[in-house]
Amino acid sequence: MATVERKSQGSLNLGLRAWGTRHVYSFFSSIGTLLRSPLGTLMTVAVLGIAMALPLGLWVALKNLQQVNPAAEDISTISVFLNAGAKQAKVDKLAAEINAWPEVESLKALSPEEALADFRKNSGFAAAVDALADNPLPWVFELKLQAVDIKLESHNETVAQQIERLLIRLESFPEIDFAQYDLQWLERLQAIMGLGATISRILAILFGFAVIFVVGNTIRLDIQNRREEIEVMSLVGATEAFIRRPFLYTGFWYGLLGGLVALTLVSLSLALIGGPLERLLLSYQSDFQLLLPGINGSLLVLVGGGLLGLFGGALAVRRHLNNLNPG
Amino acid sequence: MVVVCGHSLSCFPSPSEVCGLSMIRFERVSKRYPGGVQALSDVSFHLESGEMAFLTGHSGAGKSTLLRLIALLDRASRGQVFLQGRNLANIPRRKLPLLRRSVGVIFQDHKLLSDKTVFDNVALPLLIAGWRYQEISKRVRAALDQVDLLRKERVMPVSLSGGEQQRVGIARAIVSNPPVLLADEPTGNLDPDLSADLMTLFCRLNELGTTVLIASHDIALIQRLQRRVLVLEQGKILNQEAAGSLG
Ligand SMILES: Nc1ncnc2c1ncn2[C@@H]1O[C@H](COP(=O)(O)OP(=O)(O)OP(=O)(O)O)[C@@H](O)[C@H]1O
Ligand SMILES: [Mg+2]
Repeated sequence: MATVERKSQGSLNLGLRAWGTRHVYSFFSSIGTLLRSPLGTLMTVAVLGIAMALPLGLWVALKNLQQVNPAAEDISTISVFLNAGAKQAKVDKLAAEINAWPEVESLKALSPEEALADFRKNSGFAAAVDALADNPLPWVFELKLQAVDIKLESHNETVAQQIERLLIRLESFPEIDFAQYDLQWLERLQAIMGLGATISRILAILFGFAVIFVVGNTIRLDIQNRREEIEVMSLVGATEAFIRRPFLYTGFWYGLLGGLVALTLVSLSLALIGGPLERLLLSYQSDFQLLLPGINGSLLVLVGGGLLGLFGGALAVRRHLNNLNPG
Repeated sequence: MVVVCGHSLSCFPSPSEVCGLSMIRFERVSKRYPGGVQALSDVSFHLESGEMAFLTGHSGAGKSTLLRLIALLDRASRGQVFLQGRNLANIPRRKLPLLRRSVGVIFQDHKLLSDKTVFDNVALPLLIAGWRYQEISKRVRAALDQVDLLRKERVMPVSLSGGEQQRVGIARAIVSNPPVLLADEPTGNLDPDLSADLMTLFCRLNELGTTVLIASHDIALIQRLQRRVLVLEQGKILNQEAAGSLG
């Protein structure tokens, strides 16, 4: 009994070792294929890299744009214009009431004089302002809202709606002429980012297919070039799995290397546009930081690319490495 | 069971096979190629385990076709082929490669890989079977030594003579020590001395228990060796006679 067990253990080890040896063979054989024609490999990998760089680049750009939180600065401010000639006492009472609302973080009341001084300083029309006999400006409240994040999620609809409701409530006071919030800006930004996300998804699907077909076609040519080798391997007893495996590995390498090229391309582009972009965005917001694809994103691209390549290889192998053995 | 062997030396039973069990058996086998050529018709014969025999006949008689059926490279159109007692018609397609490894084939046109060294060509059957590298190189060197090509292990097949290429093919066929060895015109490109050496090698393998079937035109060589001869003519077995009565 014991000897039988030992024997089966031994044959299992032997089987495992044989399995390992065959995989090592496929591994080196597939790398050998890539190195045998380095220029061709390089061109294929470059095509794959560019194809993957497009959706990846768009995705990274969106991730960077999402950081730009328009609600954090100017955009989170509602300007409330009071009727001209509002009395100081009324204004103070109104200011105190609005300031107590939960949505409002702070309220800054600008008297017509302060507003005019501001305008005189910032507009460059100092001479024109000096020429005015009367101050045409009303009292202005600048409401700073509790931080609202603008993301691409669906509940943003309600952020816009909340602001809309707030505006209507403000305008219902008889002392208030009108309240202004650049909602269009917010909506447009959201729409653009939503569109961008959709486009990057569509591109990812389209270029995913492109990767599959490019790899599939490359492997098809490879199979045709190695008909002789495949025939001989089959003659001396190679199983179909053994013959197919190097081609599958090759497909995986193509996808993986393509992903690597895509990551490199996107990172390089970011490095190039990063400086100017950062300066531009810092003028809106102080905490902007350029986001790279990151470890998770990079792994996703590499593994995803590899799997797409594997799939392309599998398609070619299924189509062109069939019926090696007589029925 | 009555066990009768062709000759005493061939009885060197390996554990799995019993001497006298038929290793190769054809029962009314016909092979028609898709083009309509009837390459074999109604062929019946059998070879015992450990037997060595020749297959002869004119060009186009069907020798290569017959060997291909044994090597599981093709299926019979009619009739049955048995290898080690198994009916090859019943072997599912995906099992063919494993069974194929028990048959070493020396091809008429060598079938070497032009972009691999002599060593790698000979190692191919062992790589496929998943042998360990140390064991592979030991066996490949032993096989190359038997065909006197050890010095050329790092050479590409293109820079070898026709006879040397043939010997690489022979080394590849015997490297995994298969129980059946089929040779299709193995001496076609060899000078008389090398041919004689090669026959000595086949006889040695046969004495160690390998069943050997050699397709050849070389009547003189066949006659010298005094083994059974199967004669094919237009796809039919003419007679099975001792080599002495040929010619
Ligand atoms: N793949 C094939 N398709 C169609 N016909 C074939 C095929 N292979 C061989 N034949 C035909 O079958 C017949 C037998 O061929 P085979 O190769 O078995 O002859 P052979 O005895 O080996 O000849 P040789 O001594 O010249 O090698 C020939 O008429 C040949 O034309
Ligand atoms: Mg032939």
